Amino acid sequence: MSLLWLRVAVLLYGIAALAVLPAALYSRPGWRHVALPAALGGAFFHFVSITETLYAAHRALPVDTHETLSMLGLLLAAAFLILAAKYKTVSFGIFLLPVVVLLTLVPAFHPGHETIAYPFIRTGWLLLHIVLLLAAYAALFLSLIASLLYLIQERRLKQKRTPRRASVLWLPPLETTDQIALKALLFGLPCMTAGLLIGSVVALQTIGPTFFADPKVLLSFAMWIAYMLMIFIRQHSGLRGRRAIYLSSFVFLVVLAVWSANLFSAVHRFKAP
Amino acid sequence: MSEITLKQSGSILLLGVNHTTAPIDVRERLAIPISRLADATRTLAHQPGIREALILSTCNRVELLTVSDAAENPLSPPLGMLRFLHDYLNLPAEEIKPHVYEFREREAIRHLFRVASSLDSMVVGEPQILGQVKESWNVAREVGAISSTLDPLLQRAFSVAKKVRTETQIGSSTVSIASVAAELARKIFGSLSGKTVLIVGAGKMSDLAARHLIQQGATTLLVSNRTEARAEKIADSLRTPAITTGVIPFDQLHEQSHRADIIITSTGAGQIFTPDHARALLHRRRNRPIFFIDIAVPRDVAPEINNLEGCFVYDIDDLQQVAAQNQAVRSREAEAAETIVTREVDLYNARLSQAPAIEAIKQLQLSAEAVRQQELARTAQRLATNPLTSEQQAAIEALTKSLTAKLLHSQLSALRTPTSDDPTK
Repeated sequence: MSLLWLRVAVLLYGIAALAVLPAALYSRPGWRHVALPAALGGAFFHFVSITETLYAAHRALPVDTHETLSMLGLLLAAAFLILAAKYKTVSFGIFLLPVVVLLTLVPAFHPGHETIAYPFIRTGWLLLHIVLLLAAYAALFLSLIASLLYLIQERRLKQKRTPRRASVLWLPPLETTDQIALKALLFGLPCMTAGLLIGSVVALQTIGPTFFADPKVLLSFAMWIAYMLMIFIRQHSGLRGRRAIYLSSFVFLVVLAVWSANLFSAVHRFKAP
Repeated sequence: MSEITLKQSGSILLLGVNHTTAPIDVRERLAIPISRLADATRTLAHQPGIREALILSTCNRVELLTVSDAAENPLSPPLGMLRFLHDYLNLPAEEIKPHVYEFREREAIRHLFRVASSLDSMVVGEPQILGQVKESWNVAREVGAISSTLDPLLQRAFSVAKKVRTETQIGSSTVSIASVAAELARKIFGSLSGKTVLIVGAGKMSDLAARHLIQQGATTLLVSNRTEARAEKIADSLRTPAITTGVIPFDQLHEQSHRADIIITSTGAGQIFTPDHARALLHRRRNRPIFFIDIAVPRDVAPEINNLEGCFVYDIDDLQQVAAQNQAVRSREAEAAETIVTREVDLYNARLSQAPAIEAIKQLQLSAEAVRQQELARTAQRLATNPLTSEQQAAIEALTKSLTAKLLHSQLSALRTPTSDDPTK
């Protein structure tokens, strides 16, 4: 049944991803009334699906890459809905919703079949570790998109031309986009810090100090330092625009490296389906 | 059974002058201030032959919209309205006749929809006109001058105007230099609440731009001028209880201009702001964006500053160009809006032409039902000594209903068929 809910969620996300195009690109606000309920419905069925999957498996954790990607998709969908509610903009959906569709499409039509149980698989702390880190990744991705939108809007203003068509991407003001980028990072940092700390404590108790010599774990701490440095630089030099994108992209690459390190890690890896 | 006739909804007539048909001295004489609008509307509605009336009076138009008792001959002059103009405004009809336009029925509806949607405005797409039409509607309702024809028509006009606003971009872009500057500032800073505007130099245009920015929420205004007394005078003229104003001595301009988010320059005394100044400004502002509005000729702000990240420079040509482009966008969107209006006029007309038939069908059915009930009661009275069983009663009920429906069928079908002599077409 959970698979059915996930497929319904994918369908709704797909509708939202399509409806957001005329709403944001062609300034047809009527389509917002399709995009937002569809995204909200998608997030609801997605949540039901994840909860049902974990409940049926008698565990609290997403243990394969598909489940984890699906959870990341849910967090990104939630980020889109929060932005739409707070800033009255669906422009972010142009980038966020297709990613959400992709992240949920694979688990919906090619689900994983994880059966191996870790000894700590029911640990609530570990669930918190995963959710917090995924929230930090989602925040970083959101910040990257916000920086990209900032750059587009900045270019447009500097070119001093009203686009020939009235139907062009409506973007939030520069300062709003900048605030979204910074707030996303400021939200992501405590998530990442707490996520890593919880993971470290659990690992210390269950695996021991050898856990910290693992490449995945080392890269994770490097990621945390890069994340923190990025916020520090942005806060203290007021970094915006092109250079902010470069910085966010660099940290994003580090995040991808950490993610890929699952493949090489001996002690920290998601079970591939 | 009583005879059923199609009741006419009345003849809609619109008479008016606007900025394209009448010069300002004529419009001035016709204009009715809001304080007198209720009285004027009441007077117009009480003219012989006029059933409903509404007056729209703005600086660009004066229009009288009425519904007369019966469909008038399209060639006959609107006597009630002409009498109103003569008696109330003391204007001989001959004097204003060359400036007056007249629309009847479908064309009057179309004109009203166009006016409410701001397609007939001097600045196409301006939003004020809808509020003015609503104000006239409120006044007319308060004095009881509108009812079954104009009230739904006006409400439809508001829906059409809303549709035009939401389905087209007609009102999305600004077309005056000052409002373009304010619009650009909003694209950079979002809400201007808490933002600081610095005026360098004195000029009407910079004054106007500053006023627009204040209207949009800017809360602090700084002025810098070579003559400090003049700067203080400008600051005083723009000061309101909600605005904090201040003067920056001209020799300290570069040291203090980082306090401003928006700088309007109009000195024309050569390049006051060079790229080096702008870099220093950005450094002091920790790269927070800064918007230069350079209205001066020759320019006060080096155009290269626009290449610096976080600096946005718009000179007078740029602003004019954006205004012209916005005007072109509005014109294109106006075409789409005209299509919406035409479609809505057709829909409204179709509904209007069906209204008398629907009313007649309702009356016919009510009348037939009354006769049926009467006959049933009479039969029941006749059979009082030997009452019918419930089954027999049900059978008679069904029989009479069926008979009534069959007898009415041809008449109802005829009423439901659209007539070719539709008075609204």
